[in-house]
Amino acid sequence: MAQTLHIESRGGRVGTPLLEVQNLVMHYGTKEGEVSAVDNVSFTLNNGEAIGLVGESGCGKTSVALTLLRLLPDNSVIKGGDIKLDGESLIDLDEEQMRRRRWRDISMVFQGAMNSWNPVYRIGDQIREALRLHWPETLTYQEETDRIGALFELVGLNPVTMERYPHEFSGGMRQRAVIAMALSCNPKVIIADEPTTALDVIVQDQILRELKKIQQELGMSIIYISHDIAVIAEVTERMGVMYAGKLVELGSTLEVFHRPRHPYSYLLLSSTPSITGPRRKLAPLEGEPPNLLNPPTGCRFHPRCPFAIDKCSSEEPGLVEVGEGHSVACWNWQEVPEIGGLQK
Amino acid sequence: MLKYIAKRFGQIFILFYVFLALLFLLLDLQPGDISQQFVGNPNIPPEAKEIMVRQLGLDQPKIVQLGNHLWNYSFGMDMGVSWSSYPREVSDILFSALPRTVFLFLTATVMSFWLGFYTGKLVAWRRGTFIEKSAMVTSIFFWTVFYPWFAILMLWFFASQLGWFPIGKFISVEKWIGAPYAADDVFMLMLGTIALVTLVYGVARYVIDRSSDDPQTRRNFHRLALWSLAGIAGAFWAFSARRTYAGDILWHTFVPVLTLTLVNFAGTTLLTRSSMLETLREDYILTARAKGVPERTIRDRHAARNAMLPVTTSLVLQLAVVIAGGVITEQIFSWPGLGRALLGAITAEDIPVAMGALALIGILSLLAHLVADITYAFLDPRIRVQG
Amino acid sequence: MADILTPPTERLDGFDPSAVLEEPLWRIRLRLSWRSFRKNWALFSDNKMGIVGILIIALFGIMALAHPVLMATVWQDHLEGGKNVYDIRAGADSIIVTKTIVEEVTDPVTQISQIEAMFLGTGVSIPEIGDTIEAPLANPAPPVLSGVDHPHILGTDPFGGDVFSQLLFGARAAFLLGAIAALSSVALATLVGTIAAYFGGVIDTLLMRLADLVILIPLLPLLIVVSGFWNVELTMLGILIGVLGGLGGTAIILKSQALSVKVKPFIDAARIAGGGHWRIITRHIIPNVLPLSFLYMMFAVTGAIFTEAALSFLGLLNIQQSWGIMINIAHTQGYTLEGLDVWWLMLPAGLSITLFSAGFFLVGRAMDEVVNPRLRKR
Repeated sequence: MAQTLHIESRGGRVGTPLLEVQNLVMHYGTKEGEVSAVDNVSFTLNNGEAIGLVGESGCGKTSVALTLLRLLPDNSVIKGGDIKLDGESLIDLDEEQMRRRRWRDISMVFQGAMNSWNPVYRIGDQIREALRLHWPETLTYQEETDRIGALFELVGLNPVTMERYPHEFSGGMRQRAVIAMALSCNPKVIIADEPTTALDVIVQDQILRELKKIQQELGMSIIYISHDIAVIAEVTERMGVMYAGKLVELGSTLEVFHRPRHPYSYLLLSSTPSITGPRRKLAPLEGEPPNLLNPPTGCRFHPRCPFAIDKCSSEEPGLVEVGEGHSVACWNWQEVPEIGGLQK
Repeated sequence: MLKYIAKRFGQIFILFYVFLALLFLLLDLQPGDISQQFVGNPNIPPEAKEIMVRQLGLDQPKIVQLGNHLWNYSFGMDMGVSWSSYPREVSDILFSALPRTVFLFLTATVMSFWLGFYTGKLVAWRRGTFIEKSAMVTSIFFWTVFYPWFAILMLWFFASQLGWFPIGKFISVEKWIGAPYAADDVFMLMLGTIALVTLVYGVARYVIDRSSDDPQTRRNFHRLALWSLAGIAGAFWAFSARRTYAGDILWHTFVPVLTLTLVNFAGTTLLTRSSMLETLREDYILTARAKGVPERTIRDRHAARNAMLPVTTSLVLQLAVVIAGGVITEQIFSWPGLGRALLGAITAEDIPVAMGALALIGILSLLAHLVADITYAFLDPRIRVQG
Repeated sequence: MADILTPPTERLDGFDPSAVLEEPLWRIRLRLSWRSFRKNWALFSDNKMGIVGILIIALFGIMALAHPVLMATVWQDHLEGGKNVYDIRAGADSIIVTKTIVEEVTDPVTQISQIEAMFLGTGVSIPEIGDTIEAPLANPAPPVLSGVDHPHILGTDPFGGDVFSQLLFGARAAFLLGAIAALSSVALATLVGTIAAYFGGVIDTLLMRLADLVILIPLLPLLIVVSGFWNVELTMLGILIGVLGGLGGTAIILKSQALSVKVKPFIDAARIAGGGHWRIITRHIIPNVLPLSFLYMMFAVTGAIFTEAALSFLGLLNIQQSWGIMINIAHTQGYTLEGLDVWWLMLPAGLSITLFSAGFFLVGRAMDEVVNPRLRKR
């Protein structure tokens, strides 16, 4: 009984690598041609760690998330690379094995979680479905109810409300319930894709605090995905910046914020005003994200880059280490100036 | 929920009276006044004409006539007297035809809904395959086929070519000579059985839902209730002396019901398919996938359950097709129902019967709308549970 | 936004659009609509079924045009007994015999139905059951493809009328009816829908309750009564179907579309710029509802053709010739159970009605995918 009420992360010892993404390449086949949505992306998530992926919409953040769960649409192909969870490759699993891993090992809080609820079933029953599919032992109805109640309390919801339908919940409540559902099977990893985007600022803040608290208390490993740098800054320890399907910068969140080394990160941060920092001029990010059907040669950012040199249009830069655990994919990273930085 | 149903009921009630009033006006607009046929006849002496005009109430103002018309229809169940089969009452003629139409209409609708929904669901799930394409072509053919022609072909094929089924009509007269039961009574008993089984099943479901929280247990008990009820009803008829006669009626119903079902089934398939395709794009389907829900469960419990909602609404718009199909089916298969009564009355210029038949078909259509609305409310918690 | 808030007179003061635009405005408009047409056509032509639909409609278009042309040229001189053998109503090949009027025809050679006798009658008295009447020997001639000595490539109907000629003529009738019904229905529905959406309130409630009523009335039985008591011909029927169809379901759908347009910022902009109700409705809302209207026009044709053919089949319409009447004649003359043995009586007409409806239905569905992106594959 107590076992079923225990909410925890099933990952290993804190600090050891849990999820390793290596040189992941994923294409969408469309009528116009192949879209390289994820190109050569590598990162590692350690146990008990929260990392973030940030970038403009359409840069491949969500594609990375969907690739991790292998939930891609039919027209997509994983061209190369590997995803290892606890040292075991997820790419090699067949569909049925993968289905059993979903939610049990990697659960997800979706972009626009408002619509993640099936409108015709009770919230509690939808969480119950996940428990029935993935809980190692068969639970009685009462045990399931108790566990859902415990999950509801953890995320700040009244357990009585599990009898309600999604339309009876407010946006914030639905989002909390989504988090409860993500935690329901004690997963190893949670992917939070734009977890708060559709909510108003105050609710957004409450939920982020809640998530951070849960992550730290349970030692949960979470990958946050957002276009909103402020969200990433608030909840993650390490972050990656994505541009046009590529990971262009990877480092500790503080480092990237204080001293971005990639021109894109620099411009992205400069275009966001800081309330607490010193007054500064905002540098606009000009131009449009590239068409991934036919990406620019060399560095994909060079047409929009104010620091571009000749080499940028012909040769593609790889990730190079520029500091401790801080790497960047740019030929001219030394030229990127310092910005005011962000006071946490 | 009750409030919603009451509101819809009220609306439909009002609409019915507007419909009746419009029918009266239509009758009134008829070229040369309905009384002219008798009153204008030169063989009738003027005194007799006057008596007739007074008896028919034609000397009263129009508004009083309208009031009488509505009053008689709703409270006296009085639809007047048939002109072509005088002195039979219109209500007498029509109420004996009504159950046969209701039966045809209900079986065809229910069967086409189930089959159509099932096919549409599978077809949408297998988008892009050969099965989907051929199912689509077939559905579009059945949906656009000229129904009377198709019905004639069915009649020719099953009755004339194969000779498996009778050429139209409701019963084989020769089998019923000296029968201890009237055909209508046997038929009503059959309808009664179906109604009773449905009712008891509904009550049983309600009780089961109240007494168990576990969806799986509930589903098992639902199934148990359905099968045992069907078994009891089947046994009752199998040991009844009326079974050969009931069999004869069923034998006659087969081709008309099949024909009407095929055409409506195609419509439901097409509707379900597009509804399913829209539902499959919803976020909660992706959530279900991420939850590791097996594909078949996603299709049946997540997508199809939601896709059913718009299909139920669209059934209302499709109703006109079912009714039109019913009238034509009755005509081609010589099925003695309301539609055939209507057409017969038109040919014989029997205005009271025609008006009565139209009014009854109108009531049927209104009731069908009400049922569709209530079904929708049950299916959609956003209406069932006021938040 | 600042631009919108400036009164239009000030904004346009001393501003000559032609000074900025090198091209005249109409050419820009034309180019824009051509571009959007090309884009939509690309989406439309993705759907092979839609192309099939267009081909079917084109085929029937050719058939409809061919009839008057053939009558004036190739078929002109085929006279027999003073009548053209290709005349749609009465062929010259029929043999006249005496027939008994009965309620239900069992032997088409010696018996005739009351309705058919009424058509043949001299008009003085209504034929009674049991009377005899001079009628053509109901004996359809089979098709002969050589066409030299026997001119009927699709055979004749029981009265000796040429089936092929009737089929071509039927296409004309179908187009005429479809066009009248679809145009009147969609014009009415668009107007009712936009007015209800734009003004809201009492007008909206009234129009929508009316739509509810129209949806609830069973259309075919009502038309059966109407055409049974009145003399309904093709144009009248087209308008009737159009009005009843246009006030019902289509009006509700177009209203919801108009509502979604009404709340768009450019409507506010037009209102602030001083646009009157009528101008906003006609210049801003209706153009944005039109694609959907056009889509429902296609479905309206399908419905209208079915209704006409069904009423013709039941022998209730006063129209010269249509596909429905062809089936009606074969049916009332007692060839129902002959089935495919006399295939040329019903198959060409039945298939024509089916294909004609299918053509418009397919085009409508393909357009649906253009207008409603949620149905597209990706």
